[in-house]
Amino acid sequence: MAKLKEADLAYTNDLPGAERGNPSYFENEVIDHLLGIVLELGAQFWVLRDRQAFLEEQLAAKGVVSAEDLDHGKPSDELLAKLKAERLAMIQQVYGRLYSTYGGDKAAATSAPMS
Amino acid sequence: MSIQDALFPRGKIAGVFPTLTSRGDEAYVDFIEDARNVLMHAQQRPISEYSQQLMKDAGIDDSPDRETTQAAIDLLMQDPTLKTYYRVKRSLQESFWFGLSKSFNQRRDAIVAAFDAAEAAGPGTVEYDANWQDSAPEYASREIHIQPGGYLKDELAGVFYDYGLKVFMGGAADHDRLAKGVSMATAMPDDGQVSRILDLGVSAGATTIALKEKHPDAEVWGIDISAPMVRYAHVRAMEAGAEIHLRQMAAEEMDFPDNHFDAVLAMLLFHELPVPVAKEVIAEVFRVLRPGGKFTVLDFPSVRSRGTYSMFFAEMDAADNGEPYLPDFVRSNVEDLLVEAGFELEHYDPKAALTRGRVVVKPVA
Repeated sequence: MAKLKEADLAYTNDLPGAERGNPSYFENEVIDHLLGIVLELGAQFWVLRDRQAFLEEQLAAKGVVSAEDLDHGKPSDELLAKLKAERLAMIQQVYGRLYSTYGGDKAAATSAPMS
Repeated sequence: MSIQDALFPRGKIAGVFPTLTSRGDEAYVDFIEDARNVLMHAQQRPISEYSQQLMKDAGIDDSPDRETTQAAIDLLMQDPTLKTYYRVKRSLQESFWFGLSKSFNQRRDAIVAAFDAAEAAGPGTVEYDANWQDSAPEYASREIHIQPGGYLKDELAGVFYDYGLKVFMGGAADHDRLAKGVSMATAMPDDGQVSRILDLGVSAGATTIALKEKHPDAEVWGIDISAPMVRYAHVRAMEAGAEIHLRQMAAEEMDFPDNHFDAVLAMLLFHELPVPVAKEVIAEVFRVLRPGGKFTVLDFPSVRSRGTYSMFFAEMDAADNGEPYLPDFVRSNVEDLLVEAGFELEHYDPKAALTRGRVVVKPVA
């Protein structure tokens, strides 16, 4: 079989998604930025909430806790399960309303096989 | 630097995945993962119903052809809720990679040093082009899933990919359960003679390892066009104690002799290839597979079993999630391409395309 030449695949450079890009979904890209910002703020809030819960668990168990413990330790399985339930509920409560038009705010969290 | 210190400083996640550098990094990614679960995965059915109602109201037919699909895109992407859904999807993907990169980059040098140290160790072997960073073909250098640097140009591509798989598969890949399932689905010749197995596009190597575990007496080879992937896969194999042989090699131009393998697997490879390359890969597999050998292709269903909304979703994933070859792959009906190359189609059920795949046989004379 004749091997493909670079020119044979040049068309792929123009396919949607060939470049990472920076898509806007709204006519006013400020709305795109704002949605990205509120999601990022949620993530940053959660990092603090997780650390607080881990700190409380460590203090209750050991009395004294180092930053090293908090940075590199691992919460108990019980706390991880509690945090996951709290996190899912928070995401649904805070962001679910984005999809209230079609009732998506009531959709239960599930995992899917592929993104 | 040991592999344990470099990749698993806080233990493994879900049995096999590398750990993030700090609990804070993990909490950030936990949030992104669960935001995906609530705001993407849980929405798939209701948003599909909502979208299809909009299409029905607008009189758009349920046909996967390009014109109808474009009409659906033009209609649906005017809807504020759907714009929000796709904005959220894109933002979560960007945040996920941001969190992962920030975390692993803190110990990048140590991870690369561990890869270097692992190269001479077994079981198994790894070989790649020393000039890999300069030899990457353009078509394979896309930032699939908008992974920073793509699969070919970042030394940590395998680490990023593997953690991405954990999150994108929603837990199905935990403890390599997905890979074990794939190894069960990989068809073997009817005569039971299995001396050599080839895994194409191995990425993190989980399926290659699972194939070796299922067929311990066979010689198991895995190739990937990405040097960072085979380097990481080798470390994965070492951790699993699996003697597999990994090579950086393009599936469209393999170094193996004719009629060399008894079985070949391509797991989620073809939708990452332009169709002209896919045809070359099929021809190469036909060459290296022995008569009676079987080729298993696990990938997304073809266009003939799809409707408008399904193609709309594929087109959106292509544009927003770095999957530029997905729509053309779906429209190529890969099972037809396999038959055109000389294979006999043994099995294809569109509903089981990702679990049982397309299975073809190289005819015996």
